[in-house]
Amino acid sequence: MTAIDTQPRSIADRFEPYLAIIGPMVMILAILLFMGVAEPARYFRLSNLNLILLDAALYMPMAMAMTFVITQRGIDLSIGSIAALSGILMAFLIKQYGFPAWVALPIAIMLGATMGLINGLVITKFRVPDLIGTLAMDLVYRGLALVIAKGLVLARFPDLITDIGRGQIPGFVPIPVILGIATMIGGYWLLTKTYFGRYTIAIGSSPDAAEMTGIAVSRHKIYAYVLMGAAAAMAGVMLTGKLNAIQATSAPYFNLHVIAAVVVGGTSLFGGRASMLGSFAGVLLLSMMINALVTLRIEFFWQSVASGAVIVSSVALYTWMQKKDRDGSKGLFAGLHTPDGQKLMRFTAMIIGGLLLLLAVGGLLATPPAPSG
Amino acid sequence: MSSEPLVRMRNITKRFGGVTALSGVDLDAHAGEVVAIVGDNGAGKSTLIKILTGVYQPTEGEIFLGDEKLEMASHSDAIDKGIDAVYQTLALADHLDPAANMFLGNELTTKFAGITMLDNKRMRAETERVLFERLGVRLKSMDAPTESLSGGQRQAVAIARAVYHEGLRVLVMDEPTAALGPQETARTLKLIETVKAQGLAVILISHSLDDVFQVSDRVHVQRRGKCVGVVKTADSNQQEVLGLIVGVEEAA
Repeated sequence: MTAIDTQPRSIADRFEPYLAIIGPMVMILAILLFMGVAEPARYFRLSNLNLILLDAALYMPMAMAMTFVITQRGIDLSIGSIAALSGILMAFLIKQYGFPAWVALPIAIMLGATMGLINGLVITKFRVPDLIGTLAMDLVYRGLALVIAKGLVLARFPDLITDIGRGQIPGFVPIPVILGIATMIGGYWLLTKTYFGRYTIAIGSSPDAAEMTGIAVSRHKIYAYVLMGAAAAMAGVMLTGKLNAIQATSAPYFNLHVIAAVVVGGTSLFGGRASMLGSFAGVLLLSMMINALVTLRIEFFWQSVASGAVIVSSVALYTWMQKKDRDGSKGLFAGLHTPDGQKLMRFTAMIIGGLLLLLAVGGLLATPPAPSG
Repeated sequence: MSSEPLVRMRNITKRFGGVTALSGVDLDAHAGEVVAIVGDNGAGKSTLIKILTGVYQPTEGEIFLGDEKLEMASHSDAIDKGIDAVYQTLALADHLDPAANMFLGNELTTKFAGITMLDNKRMRAETERVLFERLGVRLKSMDAPTESLSGGQRQAVAIARAVYHEGLRVLVMDEPTAALGPQETARTLKLIETVKAQGLAVILISHSLDDVFQVSDRVHVQRRGKCVGVVKTADSNQQEVLGLIVGVEEAA
């Protein structure tokens, strides 16, 4: 017997498994600190914390499912439309056809699962790349929602639906928060304790290895999209209940918001690295951020800017931190001194210079503005 | 080595359309023996072991394991018969821990309230046991992702996956040292010796004659789809084998 000695693991290696959760936690702390200085009275009011949780709850089921999709190296850009279409269909069943809410609700979730199934089949059987496939299906589902609902806003739903969307257990947290956290816990269980979770990581980590060990890769990919569809439909139901209204153009920002939450939470877009706790923290972080923007009375449209900036910076940060071999690099700006870096600098300078020049020309020739039309 | 060979491949021919990849190749491997297959690129090494592991079906020829004639339609048939392979890529999912990798596609489960779920604890214990008892390897941490392991340790996990199957009798190793440094290569060769000592027939494909001469008992030389010689490692040298690989004898 010859024992192969083990290599000592560096501090960075030990640190790595917790990276996923430390990232969003630091950012949450930063927001708390900032708001504690800037606007403590309004931000830390109990009613405001309730609002944050209520907003986060809507995204929890989707973030849970998206964690699986992204871990398998996939992406789903159709979830906003699935949520809207499922919500619309449920609304029609209840309002137009008089279905009882407790039947219409599971139907909506099953419809969402079906849409997810279609996504999965498009990607695995027709071999359409996930980005294009789900983007195209997003158009299909949104279009169908518009066809069905036209411009209608369907409103006023039975108590069951509104309870799911905004009900409150007296003296405790809102019902949607309980539902959201329950789905996240369920997701954690799926990820760590089931074939589906194990194969999800394996497929994302190495599709070839997964194939070689006899895992049904396509089938497990489809499972993830079905889960995603069902979760999106669940969010559609929650949204309908929260607003007590639904229309075809609802839920426009779901896609990127959910992807941002999952990625900020440390689940790798390159597959194989999943963190359910990170996704939970990511959802909370985004909701806190958006709530902070509102509390600071910053215009609503900045939300989109903030979400995009958070995605780019967190993906860049994780990529940089996971780069194993940093020995050769001499800090962040070393790349600027290479010949290629110099060329890129000159190119950038040219674009910005050209832009400034044109702005100057336009400014010099400008005439007083005339009302158009 | 007077006993009957464990594996006998007889007159194996494989044609892909008009291309003959193998013609009339014989290969024997005894239990407790390392047979190295060497040859240039395109000599038919990979095709030969893919036939042995059930990935390809021979156009002509027969394979015997002991007295049994094997008819294998797929790789899983070969595994059922006790023939498995460790590929150069190792087929490991780097983000999963060693236990998850060892049982990948073949997980141990437990039932709780009628729901089947993965038994991570037992898989971890079994992996630790197999790695130590069969391969003499002890990992410092069982829950670190496989990507954090050294090349030799990763090799050990991949071999452990094969030898965990109690019925395993033939282990094919495809270029195990190709991507490894000298130290990790030495460890991997030691693993091969450990497995051989446990009575398995090991078939090693390698481009490195140093490795082949260090660990093998016999060398099977392939050239252009034919077996051009089988030499006992102890009675031969690298020069002779190299000559067979490139075909010096024929030219002379």
